[in-house]
Amino acid sequence: MAKAKTSKPAVKKKGVTRAYWKRYWQLYFLLALPLLYLLIFKYIPMIYIQIAFKKYSIVQSVWEMPWAKNHGFEYFIKAFGNNDFRRALRNTIVLNLLDLVIGFPAPIIFALILNELCFKRFKKVVQTVAYMPHFLSWVIIYSLAIQLFAPGEGLVNMLIERLGGTSIPFLNDAAHWIGTYIGVGVWQNFGWGSIVYLAAIAGINSELYEAASVDGAGRFSKMWHITLPGIKPTIVVLLIMNLGNILGSNFDRPFAFQNNLVMNVADVISTYVYRTGIKGLQFSLTTAVGLFQSVVGVIFLLTANWLSRKLGERGIW
Amino acid sequence: MKKKLIAILLAGSMVALTACGGGDAGNTSAPSTDAPATDAQGADTADAPEAADTSDAATDAAATGELTDGKFAETRHITVEVYDRGNDGGSDPTNNMYTEYIKKGMLEDHNVEVEFVKVPRWTEVEEINNLLAAGTAPDICVTYSYPTILTYADMGGVQDLSGYVEDYKSELTNLWDWLGETNMYWDKDPVDGTIWAIEGKMAVSNRINTFVRKDWLDKLSLQAPTTTEEFEAMLLAFEENKDTLLGADADKMVPYSVSFDVGWRAATLIESFIDPDITDKEYYINGYDDRKLTQNGTKEAVRLLNKWYNQGLMWDNFALYSSGDTTEDDMIKAGYVGAFTHNWDYPFRNGADSINANLQRNIGEEAYFIAIDPFDDSKGTHTKYVNSTAGDRKIFFPITNDEPLASMLYLDWISDPEHIQYLQIGDEGVTHNVLESGAIQTVAATGDPIMNSGMNIDYTITCNGLHFTDEALTKLSQAYNYAEIDPDVVSEADKIAQTDAVPAKNVNVGIIEAEANIGDTLSAKRDQVYDNAVIASEADFDSVWDSMMADYLSSGGQAIMDERAEKWQATFGDADMLP
Repeated sequence: MAKAKTSKPAVKKKGVTRAYWKRYWQLYFLLALPLLYLLIFKYIPMIYIQIAFKKYSIVQSVWEMPWAKNHGFEYFIKAFGNNDFRRALRNTIVLNLLDLVIGFPAPIIFALILNELCFKRFKKVVQTVAYMPHFLSWVIIYSLAIQLFAPGEGLVNMLIERLGGTSIPFLNDAAHWIGTYIGVGVWQNFGWGSIVYLAAIAGINSELYEAASVDGAGRFSKMWHITLPGIKPTIVVLLIMNLGNILGSNFDRPFAFQNNLVMNVADVISTYVYRTGIKGLQFSLTTAVGLFQSVVGVIFLLTANWLSRKLGERGIW
Repeated sequence: MKKKLIAILLAGSMVALTACGGGDAGNTSAPSTDAPATDAQGADTADAPEAADTSDAATDAAATGELTDGKFAETRHITVEVYDRGNDGGSDPTNNMYTEYIKKGMLEDHNVEVEFVKVPRWTEVEEINNLLAAGTAPDICVTYSYPTILTYADMGGVQDLSGYVEDYKSELTNLWDWLGETNMYWDKDPVDGTIWAIEGKMAVSNRINTFVRKDWLDKLSLQAPTTTEEFEAMLLAFEENKDTLLGADADKMVPYSVSFDVGWRAATLIESFIDPDITDKEYYINGYDDRKLTQNGTKEAVRLLNKWYNQGLMWDNFALYSSGDTTEDDMIKAGYVGAFTHNWDYPFRNGADSINANLQRNIGEEAYFIAIDPFDDSKGTHTKYVNSTAGDRKIFFPITNDEPLASMLYLDWISDPEHIQYLQIGDEGVTHNVLESGAIQTVAATGDPIMNSGMNIDYTITCNGLHFTDEALTKLSQAYNYAEIDPDVVSEADKIAQTDAVPAKNVNVGIIEAEANIGDTLSAKRDQVYDNAVIASEADFDSVWDSMMADYLSSGGQAIMDERAEKWQATFGDADMLP
């Protein structure tokens, strides 16, 4: 896709265009299907964004539904007046920021450490073991968490109690729950996340290391002055994408982990939308919430991208 | 050249692949692509109520004129919702010997073809949403949630049944006989007379019981407790003697078990704290759901639970497992639990897989649960708020139903006592035996005759609970209705469930606007109040309860109570009791 795009501006004259098409039409043909997919599954459904501004009816088509009050913004006003939504918004931001602060550097550090290992085979084993959790669904991870961390009969708490300590409410106290939630998230993702960085590290010119060794650089200064700057563009791109997601949230993870005791800190926008919209039948309200979430996401993404270009990095487009 | 050929081949195979994928995509995107079709249908059927209106003036004969001897001249086709419970070893809920029985009967009696549509039991509301939005909802829909129906009605998705029940009355004798005016008119709006749903009838009004392990009582030579103090002493005795009772598993003991749904699973305790002389008005205003959260004694009841929790008499993890999880049931079946509160017949349900059958198999003949009546109220009685005849399933017709008469005839057919009896007990020697006394004893079946729901309740949508042609036989058979369970234990539970019972009353003051569009949100909040209050430290109890309650009230709870108070005032004036 990128190739086709970059070679396009070079073509100007008509004759050349024909030759170009003759040569490359297969590529465009191959591209057509993914584009069709995007159109059908990503763009056409956007028609239903209107629901956010209309009074939803289960029997009318989206075009026939009457407009909501306050120039169509009734549901946005309602959402921001709603305690639960404000709480979900706060939790989404807090949990995502924590994820970013703790979860984002973890794979980078892991990749750097892994890169320093001399035994190739051991490195491979560690890498495989570390990214395995990525393939477990959150439901399974939650079951594991209950077996390990539940008060009373969880393995970890039993151990703590046998050693004379008092059990820790990992899953049923707000502050501890946040810790567990973030910790498990890091555990699940750091191995998988490190793959990209390892690939980027592999792309660094080895002559740089050799030259540094000749100059007497130690391991740590090589890591600091060569490896890290080498993967900086990758880090920035991933950071931008993560920032775009600051209001987004995946559904499975909070939904699997939340329980009645910690809803105050565990209810995020995606679970709020599910509960209120799909189970509570308030479709317009939750479409409004979803739209708000997406718009803020796009703004974050654009800002971060603009910022990174300003700072001399490449950005994502 | 070769390269080109490969490219074309590749591209071709991709087209083919996506075409295959397209089949799936067609299915999944059905709701959106179908939407315009729904409109067409909606427009068609929008005329239906009018038609009913015009026939209002006409005679019954005209309304049911298409029928000769109750039969249509041309075969009609209707679809009926049935729950899919996904039970172990169950049969296809849309195609088994019981559905065949219904299909055959309807075709013979009314020339109506019946098709069943399965809806997963635990996600029924979401599923029906999708079906309604796609215009493919079954002609006859069933749900437990009246607010859900109101929400649909508000969107214009539900038909008003008031015309049908009157116009077709002459053809609906079984339905009217069985449900009576009480259930037919239960949800009738006092102002505009609309009926969005008909209430299925509960043949048994029993609601909840508290159960205790008989063998534990015997081992510790305790009497069944009859007061709250005795109950507490019993729990403490269980805890103190856990090594005797459970040996190596002593650590796993849970003297009193509840789930995240504390309002239900401690209901006998909570109800005993309500003032037995509570006025109808106060009970109604606080009666949005049956978990009693805002009733006048609930806080003190929960304070007691909180004390027990902090004494280690309850299950640490109760709030971590959500609806439909079997962890607690498994603990009960494994024998770790001393007492619990649940549906009045809970430990007897499901034959060989019932709690009692499991205990007797795993631990010994003497190990089983019996019902007790331990919670005394301020007058020393054991008040229990039981069901009225309504409050069970609600039946409604979506706007896409263009066979209202055939659908009403279906409801009539399914309310015929003979048909109910067959569906409830099946064939002799297969799903039931006739005892010497004449009583009918249910036998667990496998294969095709298996009943996916107890007594085929999912098919007898107008009836919940044993109901035979002969009332005396019904009474006699009640206790034998649970396969593999001692009938005496069942009779005792039945008796206790009825002790000092107060049946629910129908307060119909019209639609409470604040209750529509609330859906699940408020009940989720209610559970959060209960759960957080139970696990709070004793010192924090008041502040936790008050702050959580404030959140519940500000999220719609107060609005509902205010509107209920206001409408009560408008309908009954200053009266505190129902006329």
